[in-house]
Amino acid sequence: MISVKIQNLGLVRNQKWLFRNLDLSIPSGSLVAIVGPSGVGKSSFLSCLSGLEESTEGKIEYKIDSNSVHTPETIRPNLGIIFQSLRLTEHVTVLENVIYGKIANYGIKEAIFGFPKKDEEAAFRILKELGIEKLAHKWTSQTSGGEKQRTAIARTLNQNPKLILADEPVSNLDTYYTGRVMGLFRGLVEKKKKIIFCALHDPQLISKFADYALSLNPENPEKWNLREINQNR
Amino acid sequence: MKSREDKSKAELIMPTRKWHEKLNFLNVLLIIFLFLTLISVKKIIKGNRPADVMSGLNYFLKKFFPPDFSEFTIILNSLAETFQIAIVSTFFAIILSLFISLAAARNISPGWLVQGTRMLLNLTRTLPSLIWAFIFVIFFGPTPIAGVFALTFYSLGYLGKFFSESFESMDIKVALGLKLIGASRFKAFVYGLWPNVKAQVWSQSLWMLEYNIRSASIVGLVGAGGIGMELNKAMEMASGFQKVSAILICILCIVISLDLLGQAIRKWITDKISPKSISD
Repeated sequence: MISVKIQNLGLVRNQKWLFRNLDLSIPSGSLVAIVGPSGVGKSSFLSCLSGLEESTEGKIEYKIDSNSVHTPETIRPNLGIIFQSLRLTEHVTVLENVIYGKIANYGIKEAIFGFPKKDEEAAFRILKELGIEKLAHKWTSQTSGGEKQRTAIARTLNQNPKLILADEPVSNLDTYYTGRVMGLFRGLVEKKKKIIFCALHDPQLISKFADYALSLNPENPEKWNLREINQNR
Repeated sequence: MKSREDKSKAELIMPTRKWHEKLNFLNVLLIIFLFLTLISVKKIIKGNRPADVMSGLNYFLKKFFPPDFSEFTIILNSLAETFQIAIVSTFFAIILSLFISLAAARNISPGWLVQGTRMLLNLTRTLPSLIWAFIFVIFFGPTPIAGVFALTFYSLGYLGKFFSESFESMDIKVALGLKLIGASRFKAFVYGLWPNVKAQVWSQSLWMLEYNIRSASIVGLVGAGGIGMELNKAMEMASGFQKVSAILICILCIVISLDLLGQAIRKWITDKISPKSISD
């Protein structure tokens, strides 16, 4: 179980506040959609959550199982990120990229002799859920944008972290796979009580899958808005 | 009405560029290059007596042909030694260059280390393999070990530069992303950077091996082992030109077959290990 508490968070980029005085308290088992036009600071907000970018003011606190408190730097073993640029290793197979989700468990032995069979099978099952099992042994560099995006999602699902930060994870997917991925995210939130922060544009997706919608306001950085979405699914 | 016309006219004015902004530097460089070539050719021709090409060719054919293969076994043994020098020196150079190139890659190491390493690599590249061989013959005497050291140092300059440029062309963010999800620096390199760069590293190493086989044939001229030593001996004998010819033919055969083999392996590497993105 993980929960997030954000206090008085603010970030300046190019001498301009992107957001300021941001206070949020997100309970475990929540999918938070971050919304707003391009350039509003959605990715920067996610970077602050992961500790990739230091906030100008305020603090972020993660609580795991109501006893250990973490900062964005110390939460990393429990953090999964789906980058907008995907950051896949291009010259290995799709399956290998998915296995890399559990990279913390591997050493040089696996780099030479390959990964354990049970880990390969677990990764393959995730590929199957996302409809790209036929690409398992294909070079990642030879797959399409949408297939790469599903590979990056599969890598994070295989990692199985408590907190997922996803920067526009369905931007290259068709309607069918968008629904499927968001459905999987919904399942992780409801059944495994994870927290997912997800930059999204589509209002329909937000109302269907999110618990909260955080809107950032480029005109007035202090006028951000957190809306709870009524879940009558 | 008039003011609207004036406005649309004003909108049509294209922003002008200064003369130096319009300059195409590649074309300027080409013109400078052509100019320098013309001056050099003029100078070279002016300082030389007219060459008697035909009598030169006649002398060459008489002295060098037919090639003398009477010591073919010795030539073969020397060629094998040449191979051994090239293989061992390329292996050492690859291993050392992998470490050195990480220090010389701008996207991996701090600026002071990059500058220092690059200066060192430039220095090793500046000296030709023959000079390196000469230096190490002083240390080790006329043995193949001198050849190995000479070619290792010489190759370091090239491979270090090639590898570091390959590392620099890679997206380091992939490895940093893996680090974020729990990979150590070493694992981030092994899983995030190495797979994307290994095809280039293999291809460059193979090129270096081909190059070193050619160089290993030469370093023997100053005593650093290999077929070059036989070549030197044959050239010093008054009647050795036909032997020189036989040795040169053997070197030529080896180099051509190696070029062809290298080409085929490099193609296989590009097709199998590093296939192009479908968007390319």
